[in-house]
Amino acid sequence: MEQVDTSACVHCGLCLPSCPTYLVTGDESESPRGRVVLLNQLWGALAVGGPGDPGAARAVDSCLDCRACEEVCPAHVPVGHAVEAFRARAVQAGHRRHPLAARQAARYFGTERGLRRFQRLAQWAQRPAGRAVLRASARLGGTAGATSHLGAGLPEPVGRRLGREGVRFGGEGPSVALFYGCVMDSVYQTTAAHAADLLRLSGYRVISAPQQVCCGALHTHAGDPGQAQAWARQNVAGFAAAGAERVAVTAAGCGAALKEYEHLLEDDLDREPVRQFQQTVRDVAELVALGPRPPLPARLQVATVHDACHLAHAQGIRQEVRDLLRWAGYQLLDMPDADVCCGSAGLYNLTHPAMASALQRRKVKTIPEAADVVATSNPGCLLQIQAGLRYAGRTTSAVHWVDLVWQAARDAGAL
Amino acid sequence: MGVVEDLRRVVGPGFVRTDAALLDAYAQDAYTLAAIRPLAVVWPASADEVAGVVRVLAQHGVPLVARGGGTSLSGGATPVAGGVVVHLSRLNRILRVDPLAGVAEVEPGVVNTWVSRAAATVGLTYRPDPSSQQACTLGGNIAENAGGPHCLRYGVTLNHILMADVVWADGRQSRVGTLSGDAEGLDTLSLLVGSEGTLGIVTRAWVRLEPVAEASATVLAVFGTVDEASETVSDVIAGGIVPAALEMMDNLAVSAVERGQYRVGYPADLGAVLLVEVDGLSEQVEEDAARVQAIAARHGVAHLQRAASAAERTLWWANRKTAFGAMGLISRNYYVQDGVIPRSRLPEALRAIEQVGRQHTIRIANVFHAGDGNLHPLLLYDGRDAGEVERVQVAGHEVLDVCLTLGGTVSGEHGIGVEKRADLARQLTVKEMAFQRAVKDAFDPMALLNPGKIFL
Repeated sequence: MEQVDTSACVHCGLCLPSCPTYLVTGDESESPRGRVVLLNQLWGALAVGGPGDPGAARAVDSCLDCRACEEVCPAHVPVGHAVEAFRARAVQAGHRRHPLAARQAARYFGTERGLRRFQRLAQWAQRPAGRAVLRASARLGGTAGATSHLGAGLPEPVGRRLGREGVRFGGEGPSVALFYGCVMDSVYQTTAAHAADLLRLSGYRVISAPQQVCCGALHTHAGDPGQAQAWARQNVAGFAAAGAERVAVTAAGCGAALKEYEHLLEDDLDREPVRQFQQTVRDVAELVALGPRPPLPARLQVATVHDACHLAHAQGIRQEVRDLLRWAGYQLLDMPDADVCCGSAGLYNLTHPAMASALQRRKVKTIPEAADVVATSNPGCLLQIQAGLRYAGRTTSAVHWVDLVWQAARDAGAL
Repeated sequence: MGVVEDLRRVVGPGFVRTDAALLDAYAQDAYTLAAIRPLAVVWPASADEVAGVVRVLAQHGVPLVARGGGTSLSGGATPVAGGVVVHLSRLNRILRVDPLAGVAEVEPGVVNTWVSRAAATVGLTYRPDPSSQQACTLGGNIAENAGGPHCLRYGVTLNHILMADVVWADGRQSRVGTLSGDAEGLDTLSLLVGSEGTLGIVTRAWVRLEPVAEASATVLAVFGTVDEASETVSDVIAGGIVPAALEMMDNLAVSAVERGQYRVGYPADLGAVLLVEVDGLSEQVEEDAARVQAIAARHGVAHLQRAASAAERTLWWANRKTAFGAMGLISRNYYVQDGVIPRSRLPEALRAIEQVGRQHTIRIANVFHAGDGNLHPLLLYDGRDAGEVERVQVAGHEVLDVCLTLGGTVSGEHGIGVEKRADLARQLTVKEMAFQRAVKDAFDPMALLNPGKIFL
């Protein structure tokens, strides 16, 4: 991994208030501008074979990789990528290990069998006994911490099938294959089927792409691009084999990762298939927003939108989700700072539990009391926000917007 | 007891830090020609803690600089050698918005746009809008008497601060100003605003909120040459129109910002673009907008456009306001000047500045508040090239000489900081400097508050 060029940073500081960790700590070294300074030092240390200042490494590592700073930076300095590259290089150089959580996640994600294992873990986490054990062991971090959130963050009991098993294929129009996503597939089991129904309504022919694997985002963020690259190549080949003209994604984190495959695989010799694949990737909201919208009646339910970082900051998608919810008849309430990270951030709530909880509390406080549901687009956000709402004693639930819109269309007989 | 231990007792052990990495992150603000690693960084959480910190530092004779967003372009928040950075980022609450009185009560670490956003919820607005408004804080705005594009019509920060709680150099606290806006005796508040953190630390401020104008129009005028744009500016002002804002960008500046986050789609071969905003009552706005467009047409405007929607207006302004940060896309570093000239001398000032650039082989981009003659020549350089760093500083001071020669001043809104101390001494008489220093000494006899700024 090479150092990512951040020389376009002129130290203007406009990024500071966009950074969730800076908002919590008020500490310049935990701001994007501070991290650019520290990254330069750390790469300097790596160049002469040292690990660099541990305090600098800690401050850089507390980056959520939420990309909020990249979006507001006048010179779009790629701070998120720069942090990822540093993590990868520090691992390569033997100065750090992958976080335990990242290594454990690799056991679950990547294969269907792994996903089923993950699903069983989630089911166990929802049972009272499981919860008690997890609460006690959450302090140890690792999978226990994650699963503890699973227990509190899932609104409904997890069933026994994968989301992909409920998808109905077919329809008229250009072909689209769903990218299932590990957590969406294993614990949000209805969303894939709902997305497929909405895509058919929008004029797409939903086809199967069974050779897909994990997008690799969590591994990229954690500094293990090797695994991510291997999976990326499988996905590029798998979707090409399926003949998908579009790849539709329900998880913002996966979508952002898939849309950056060219960057991830920039050293590959044959980049043309990667480029072609990347151009087919869309968030489901992008596709459905362009489709026909039969009129749907108003609903009594009040919704508010939390912008998933990797949808808003990394993919620039905000308005589509709101437009679709309004179309579906929901009353929308603004959430202040809707695009500030909820603290989930992939494995971040395992590697940095204190910061993750601080952001979770902050997020829950900004959710309007009158909202019945928080609509969002990423499984991490769903878990984190639902858990936060539950901890705060609120009855509001966090639901994927696809499920909300599907329900409205279904109730109105449009599906 | 050491100073660090004493500070820890005031704010708690986690809120005083001295580790090297952290201190390096605090060595600069947005002025990058100076970097000084401070002794420590302290994060007080209340006015009393700020007072406690100042008392401890006074006892130990350790100087300090209060820091907000760290967006100063003159080194206002550059640390003092051997001194402490008092970062006010935890004092970041908007305590009250009173729509009837038109007042917001805020802490110094509150970001400028947060105030505007809170005001907007009750149909009001906070006027001062420095281009760094998405990150700069009210405390810093007060210290620097910040301006911004819309200060042309609505005045600078000073005109919008009613009252403030202050911690003085000895750690005592008092309130200056009044909610009615009158001074009680000598106007200490006015002295404080713009004193660059050298007289006291504001721990709470009451700022004026105003109604949003009934109507506004934003006109974009693209010219083939800088001269045509400058002459348009002069004629608009001479015609008695007071736009809310009147901004200019030249070709090089536009080329940077068009590569940035907010692209307007300006033609690549333009000489200069003017962004003119007029506001007020609907009829007046229509009349003013028509007159501005007629004046521009008289000076050979190549393209005239009026913002068709709020989104378009927002894009144009975002494009303008991120221009400095976008310089990173065409240059490793930049050094921005802030001189002011009489508006009637705009064309010759720009020509003279161009000459300075040519002479020192420094590229100069211009993005500035044309309406009030507040120039912002951005001198582009590469910080890794020692020769160029030297040349850019010489060129910078010569740019200010141009302003002084034309009857102007060395700073419009960015402050003197560490950067323009020598230039200020050239602008003011010895007597005037002595008077200012006497004021500083009266407030801060031990020179603890942001020493090494303003005065040589």
